[in-house]
Amino acid sequence: MVNHTEELLPPTPGQRVSKFLSRKDVRQTFILGAFFTIVFVVLGIWVYPHWMPNVLSKEMQADEDIMIWFTVISAPIAGVILAIAMESFLNMHRGDTPPEDGIAMRTHTPVVIIWSSVSVLFIILALVWGMVSMNTDAVKAATDAPNALVVDVTGSQWAWSFNYPAQNITTHTLNLPVDRPVTFNIISADVNHSFWPVQLGVKVDANRLTTTVIHTTPDKIGVLDVKCAELCGLYHAYMETSGQVESTTDFNNWVSSIQAQGGTQ
Amino acid sequence: MTTLSHAPVSTRPIPNPKRSLITRLNMGTGIIVGAIFCWGTYYAMRAGRDMTDSHNVNKVLLASMLMWSFGFLVGIGALIGPFRWLIGKDLTAEEQLYLAGDGQGVKRYFKYCTDHKVVGIQYLVGVMTMLGVGGTMAMMIRTNLATPGSHLVTPNVYNSLVGLHGITMIIAMIIVATGPFGNYIMPIMIGARDMAFPRLNALSWWVLFTAIPVLCSAWFLGGIPTGWTAYAPLSDQAGPGMNAFLATIIIFAVSTAVAGMNITTTVIAMRAKGMKWNRVPIFVVGATISVALAIPAFPTFMLAMIQTGMDRTIATGFYDANVGGSGWLYANLFWIMGHPEVYVILIPGVAALMEIAPVFVRKPLFSYNAAIAGFAGIAGLSVLVWAHHMYMSGWMPSLNGPFMITTEFISVPTGLLFLVLVGTLWRGRPWMKLPMLSVYAFLWNFLIGGITGVYLSDVPADNYLHGSMFVTAHFHYTLMGAAFTGAMAGLVYWFPKMTGRMLNERAGYIAFWLIQIGFNVLFLGMFMAGAQGQPRRVADYAFVYEHSNMISTAGAYSVGIGMITLLWAVVHSWRNGKIAPMNPWGAKTLEWTVPYPVPLENFDVEPIITSDPYGYGKAAN
Repeated sequence: MVNHTEELLPPTPGQRVSKFLSRKDVRQTFILGAFFTIVFVVLGIWVYPHWMPNVLSKEMQADEDIMIWFTVISAPIAGVILAIAMESFLNMHRGDTPPEDGIAMRTHTPVVIIWSSVSVLFIILALVWGMVSMNTDAVKAATDAPNALVVDVTGSQWAWSFNYPAQNITTHTLNLPVDRPVTFNIISADVNHSFWPVQLGVKVDANRLTTTVIHTTPDKIGVLDVKCAELCGLYHAYMETSGQVESTTDFNNWVSSIQAQGGTQ
Repeated sequence: MTTLSHAPVSTRPIPNPKRSLITRLNMGTGIIVGAIFCWGTYYAMRAGRDMTDSHNVNKVLLASMLMWSFGFLVGIGALIGPFRWLIGKDLTAEEQLYLAGDGQGVKRYFKYCTDHKVVGIQYLVGVMTMLGVGGTMAMMIRTNLATPGSHLVTPNVYNSLVGLHGITMIIAMIIVATGPFGNYIMPIMIGARDMAFPRLNALSWWVLFTAIPVLCSAWFLGGIPTGWTAYAPLSDQAGPGMNAFLATIIIFAVSTAVAGMNITTTVIAMRAKGMKWNRVPIFVVGATISVALAIPAFPTFMLAMIQTGMDRTIATGFYDANVGGSGWLYANLFWIMGHPEVYVILIPGVAALMEIAPVFVRKPLFSYNAAIAGFAGIAGLSVLVWAHHMYMSGWMPSLNGPFMITTEFISVPTGLLFLVLVGTLWRGRPWMKLPMLSVYAFLWNFLIGGITGVYLSDVPADNYLHGSMFVTAHFHYTLMGAAFTGAMAGLVYWFPKMTGRMLNERAGYIAFWLIQIGFNVLFLGMFMAGAQGQPRRVADYAFVYEHSNMISTAGAYSVGIGMITLLWAVVHSWRNGKIAPMNPWGAKTLEWTVPYPVPLENFDVEPIITSDPYGYGKAAN
């Protein structure tokens, strides 16, 4: 006996959802999606701290956090895309003639709306995160400025030099005391360079005749690499130097030793 | 349903322009006249000038290079038409038919030929040559970077390799889909008999052709030390090779403008009867949006280069801070071109894959409107994002926030492109041929490229990542992983229509996997180097980056072998491949309704369009 009444009634949304979820391809897609999401989350959390150099400042920590969390947040989106792709890939047809036609689904308005809304939300989240982080940096820089250590950085083809006006010394290595804010004033003697103290997570171009300023506070002791991140001609690759974030005592000793040499390293 | 609107081509009078000058001109005469113009200018300008002054050297070289280009166009007969207009006439019908290459066999590929199919093949061979040259440079770069110590080349050669690899690939990738397929396939797809301006079409190719020797000459003039971005003041300081770079861009910008206008006009004005805007194949829409975006972008680049040229020849100092100029002016002009330009490259590749996916999944394209919205949204936003390349330049930190907003919002239309492709795959049973495989490669590569793009658009993260290998890996994922994959799929897909033969499948699969796996190893390794803190464009690096660079180089060799395999497959199949049926993929677009060789004016009978070309599938259960 066939129950005609039941067949003629349109399915309720609940029935449609449960019918959708009971389909084999849908369940497989969900499993694949969960798998890819987990892979991306694990990669994001593991890869960047593993690859990136020592974190010697809050700015660097913020940079690394953004890379980790943006990967984690985008993991479900990547999961959906890769799951659908993988599901259809596994369902492939091989041979020299095309398979028979699939369903004639030209669009699905709710899906388009949901997809667009989710991507807008994702972007707003990323934007707010970025803006807040930028603002934190800016506020911190402004508060710290009065008691900051000032270092005037000059980039020239192909070396960095650092002038500490308060200490009256000029050096080729960048030594900084821990937990004291630093203000870098950067300028170029010739072409564009880009001042990049790698472990501090800040960077700005050195331009001819215009000073650019960046702020940071080293909060851990460790070795610093200073590189040039803007192609500046022949020996760009070798335009690098090193330095230290060290205790205040060590820093003062270092300053005194340079001063004893006549103020230049 | 179709109607007869023109007599078939074959009944037209056979031309006999034997005695006319037009028949004697070809690529050879172009090169001879171009060389005469070039060397004539060189010796005429050298006379009496103090050639120890670099300004004079720059003047002479720039003028000689531009005169080469002009001379070539005179020599190949590009100016015969405009000259006739000057004396109040035009080409005769016979001459026009001759210019279209009627009955000239292989010779027409070396002439100023107005047939869009000939121009398409010329672009295809040109693009493959450029990709080969640029790829060889990439292999040299990766070989040099395999181990620390820069053993292969000197820093000067390395910097030139980086710059010339960059600009060669950028030029090749801009035309990689719109050149061959936009010219050969697109007019047939919309049911047109030729492009709107056939002579401009030939002009766009031959102008581009003249840029190739100019760019090559950079190598012999001491190379370029600036990378393809050619930032001032480094470019002011650079040696004579820089002139070749400037001249190349100026010439290329002319070619792009001409081609862009031509393709846009053709699509707007010459679609077949009944091909309403919602029935236009998606590749045509993508190619049109791409070239329309190039029309405002490239003049900015040309202007930036003209100003660099003026700084270098007559010391105007636009970009020289010492006399009141600003390098930031250059950076702005460059990136106002530079960011739309990456979408000029990307969109046709994606559009080709959107054209391919429905054919092989045998389902309609999912949400045609979302695809259009995606392309249009990207094109619209892309002109407002340029300064994200300058977050760390110090130009205007207060604008970093606004540019971050526009940049991140471009992910929304980009997300729609993903939706269209995965929606087309959804519940499908894909016919796993080579073009279809590229759709999957694209989804993976562009996903990685897209997510890393979001980090880079974020100002605090860019503090760390700007100018590092991470950026290099990111844009290779989008330009090579996405756009090149799309173009390669297009090549395999349209190969039967362009050559009459099927591409060798086995070699194609081998090439595909070597390229795609190698590509991912190469650039995932480069992401690692970037995250570790290796700056980009360095000839040498510290030992900490040893492993990531070795991984990259290993991947690069796989890509290299894959590319050679692909080249072999193309050349071999072109000559000896299996003869292709008229519609090997069972597609519904118009290009598969014409035979090979495609007749001179494509359609004996003008087609009439009654639906879009995605009418696959049966009703859903």
